[in-house]
Order: sequence, then structure tokens, then C-alpha cells
Amino acid sequence: MRLSWLGRYLWSGWAGAAGLFCLLAAWQASHEVYGSFVLPSPLQTLAAIRDVVRGPGFVAAVAETAARTFTGFGLAAGLGTVAGAIAGYSFAAMRVMRPVVAVVLGVPPISWIVLALIWFGASGGSAVATVVVAALPISFAGALEGVATRDRSLDAMARVFGAGPLRRFRTVTLPHLLSYLFPAWTTTVGTAWKVTVMAELLANAGGIGGELATARALFDIPQVTAWTTLVVAFALATDYGLLTPLRERLERWRSAGLPWGVKR
Amino acid sequence: MRLALDRIGHAFLGRTVLEGCDLLLANGEIVALVGPSGCGKTTLLQIAAGLIDPLRGRVRRDYRRHAMVFQEPRLMPWLTAGENIAYGLASLDLPRRRRREIAGVHARLVGLEPADLDKYPAELSGGMRQRVAVARALAVEPEVVFFDEPFTAVDVGLRRALQDLVMRMAGDGPSGQGFSGLFVTHDLAEAVRLADRLAILSARARGIVEIRAVPGRRAARGDRDVFEIVQSWSREEAFAELVDGEGRHVP
Ligand SMILES: Nc1ncnc2c1ncn2[C@@H]1O[C@H](COP(=O)(O)OP(=O)(O)OP(=O)(O)O)[C@@H](O)[C@H]1O
Ligand SMILES: [Mg+2]
Repeated sequence: MRLSWLGRYLWSGWAGAAGLFCLLAAWQASHEVYGSFVLPSPLQTLAAIRDVVRGPGFVAAVAETAARTFTGFGLAAGLGTVAGAIAGYSFAAMRVMRPVVAVVLGVPPISWIVLALIWFGASGGSAVATVVVAALPISFAGALEGVATRDRSLDAMARVFGAGPLRRFRTVTLPHLLSYLFPAWTTTVGTAWKVTVMAELLANAGGIGGELATARALFDIPQVTAWTTLVVAFALATDYGLLTPLRERLERWRSAGLPWGVKR
Repeated sequence: MRLALDRIGHAFLGRTVLEGCDLLLANGEIVALVGPSGCGKTTLLQIAAGLIDPLRGRVRRDYRRHAMVFQEPRLMPWLTAGENIAYGLASLDLPRRRRREIAGVHARLVGLEPADLDKYPAELSGGMRQRVAVARALAVEPEVVFFDEPFTAVDVGLRRALQDLVMRMAGDGPSGQGFSGLFVTHDLAEAVRLADRLAILSARARGIVEIRAVPGRRAARGDRDVFEIVQSWSREEAFAELVDGEGRHVP
């Protein structure tokens, strides 16, 4: 079981690597057309990454951004999921909240950043606040849909067999809910990294955003692409290192019903 | 007496489905609810099981545990067959090992292999899923079992085997050791085969029009007896709605 899981994980990694190399090739091609000043090559970026990683402020900057990202993600996913699940149980709450969520999701994160800067000043707090408001509706909507579309016939079955409300939530609603939560959380994590860096840059609040601001001031383009690549790597690492293994563990039943070719 | 329905009436969105239904279920007895499609059999069964609150009338229960086999298997897709069978045992305060043992015993009773216990419902055939649902109901050692057309989707041979199992587990007629059963079916032969009494529902009369005992002891009834009872009853007025298509329009 464990081995086949590892095998599938590696195989999906291999398939993903093929896609990534296509992207790198396109990047290299653009670099050759437009030149180093506009777009440094992947190799130059790699060298810049090495310099950045060896630089003095690297660990501090990453730690700062990561702390803000995870605080924002934790608050957004936690509050959004709980509130969404509660709203999912009530038709009235659902009707009221759906349009609200649609409107809030439509607000561009940059507007939240500007507002947070005015409200909280140029600090790490405004980065976290921006992440929370920008990412919370995603988890909220996912949890709401998940609870609202739970299988009521299974709920009735559980009631006949003497399951109380808590056990019914744990055994009937939650496993169904998870399949809505994981995509929402994946999006939330990605948004959290991006929005944190953006807020840091605009608020001049240190972290990776602060490093990007410095690089921009110095016109150090390879450093910009280096930090960008690093942020993408961190976001993907959070997803594949944290959420995907968790999902694989919790949703093993889902792959049981799939025909062979569809299993990743 | 295990279960008593007193003057039960129910309506969905103002449309009356049931009116003044009375029914008693004795210890160890199986009562079949027969009637045409849409006459309110499922509704009456769910009222008896406490899944629907009736608009009028009262349900009296004199037992501790009940179980139900639904028209569809209703298994949790995220639990294995064994865990599904053990689902009702969780509220019985038994150690985990004991629960697994009970699940294994009941899986064997319905003819599932030990290897099937670790499969998810998606990996089982339709008939196997229904067998898991039957095992889940019997595993809690219920005093009353509600069956809602449980065997409509399984083949003839398996249906017979499952009917035999239900009869065996219910015990040998009234005053036996097993459970009492309320068994919804629209198959008159099935009702005659495994019930002690028949409650006949009508869509036109919105409720139970007649309750009659099936001749002979349940366990002693042979195929020939069943055939003859069905033959003579199906000519009667009381079963007209069930047996012929009169009054029902299928384009
Ligand atoms: N939740 C509901 N809301 C509205 N009407 C309902 C509901 N459930 C059942 N009904 C109606 O009540 C009537 C009886 O339904 P019920 O499911 O009890 O029939 P049934 O006798 O079990 O039929 P079948 O043999 O086809 O299963 C039907 O006319 C149906 O349309
Ligand atoms: Mg029905």
C-alpha cells in the first residue's frame, strides 16, 4: 500500500516535470528573443537564486513571509470553513451569504491591500489582514457547498442506526465536505503566498515583498525572477508537501472506484 | 406488541397521502405492507421508523433497537464493506475487536467472502452492496427491522436466499426469539412467502384497506402453497389495484 502510494506520487511528479520543462524551454526562447535585460534566462535566474539563498537576509525574509502566509491561511481557512459549514446547514443563511461571497470574491486583492494599508498602516498586520479577507470567501464557499450538497439519504440512514448529530457530521457530512475543502484550500494557499508578497511590497513591510522592492529599485531583474521562482516553489511545496499527502490519506476510498488508467 | 400505529395520517405539501392508518406489530411477527407504486408505503414505513413525523396520529414503540434496509443500499462510499456493516454497532459501546467480529459473522450470513470486507462499496456489485446493507441491519441484533422493498434490485436466486435469511433470523413465527419485521413490497408472492400478515394499502383509499393473515405457519409454507394463495388472492377485489394496471396510465 505504502509503496504503491510512493510509486504513484513519483510517477505524477515525473509527468509534472515534463510539463515544467516545456515551460522552461518557452522561457529560454523568450529570453533569446528579448535579451537579458527584459527577461533573464533560466540559468541566470538559477545563479541569482543561488546568490539570494546565500545572501544574509534570506532566511529572515522567507521566515517572515511564511509566517504571515500561514497565519493568513490558517485564519482564512479556519474561519471560512467553520462559518461556511454552519451556513450550509441553514437555507436562510445560505441564501443571504451566497451573493455576499460572490461580491467579496469579485473585489481585487489589490484594493484590499490599499484599504488595509490605510486601516492598519504599513505593517505585517496589513499583509495578514489582506490574505484573510482575500482568501476567506474561497474556503467559506467551499464549505458551504459541501455541507449543502451532503447526502441526506445517508443522513437518514445514520439516524435510523442511532447516530447522534455529532457522529452524523463526522461520518456522513465531513468526508463529503473534504472533497470540497481540499480544492478550496489549495486555492487559498496559492492566494495566501501571492497576496502576502504583494502586500509586503506595497506596505514596505520586509519579507520577500521587501526584497522584491529592493530588487526593483536596483533594476536587478535576475533577482526579481529569482524571488518570483522561489515564491512559486514555496507555494507548490505547501500544496504538494502538505495538502496533497493529507488528501491522499483521507480520500483513499475515492481512488478505489476508479478504473486503472484514471488512477494517477 | 412491539410497535403500534394509531390513526396515522400524513400529507405532503397539503396533498394527503395517508389517512387513519392503524397497525399492530406483534413480537416476532413479520407484517408485509403491499400496495401499488406511490400509495405511501415508504412514507408509512418511515413514519413507523421515526424518520418522518406524522401530521396526525401516534406511533408507540416498545423496543430498544431497530434497523432498516432501504430501497437502495445507502452505504457510506468512504467506509469499507466491513466498516459499513459495523456502522450501527458504534452506538452499542462494544470494543473495536468485538465489532469487527460481529461484522465478519454477519458478512458470512449474507454470503460475503472475508476478502470482500476490505473493499469499498464502489468495488462491489449491486447485489453485494444490498447484501452489505442487509448485514448492517442484522448486525445490531435489532428487535424491529424495517424493510423497504429491499430485494427489488437483486436476481431471483439471491432474492430467495435473502428472503430465507430474513425468515430464519426473524425466528419461527410469533413468540420466536428473533426480530419483528415491517416489510414493504409490491410483490404479492414475496409478501405471501415471508409474512405472517398482509396490510394492503390503496392509493385511492389513502391508507390501509385491509389486514389479513396468511394461512399456515411462515416456515412451513412451501412454494406450492405460496403459488396457490397468490393465485386465489390476486382475483380478489382487495388486490385489484396491486395486480392489474387499472387506473394507472403509462403512455
Ligand atoms: N418528500 C416528499 N415530498 C412530497 N411528496 C412526497 C414526498 N415523499 C413522497 N411523496 C409523495 O407521497 C406519495 C407516496 O410516496 P411513497 O414514497 O410513500 O410511495 P410508495 O408506496 O413507497 O411507492 P413505491 O412503491 O413506488 O416506492 C407519492 O405520491 C409521492 O409523490
Ligand atoms: Mg417506496
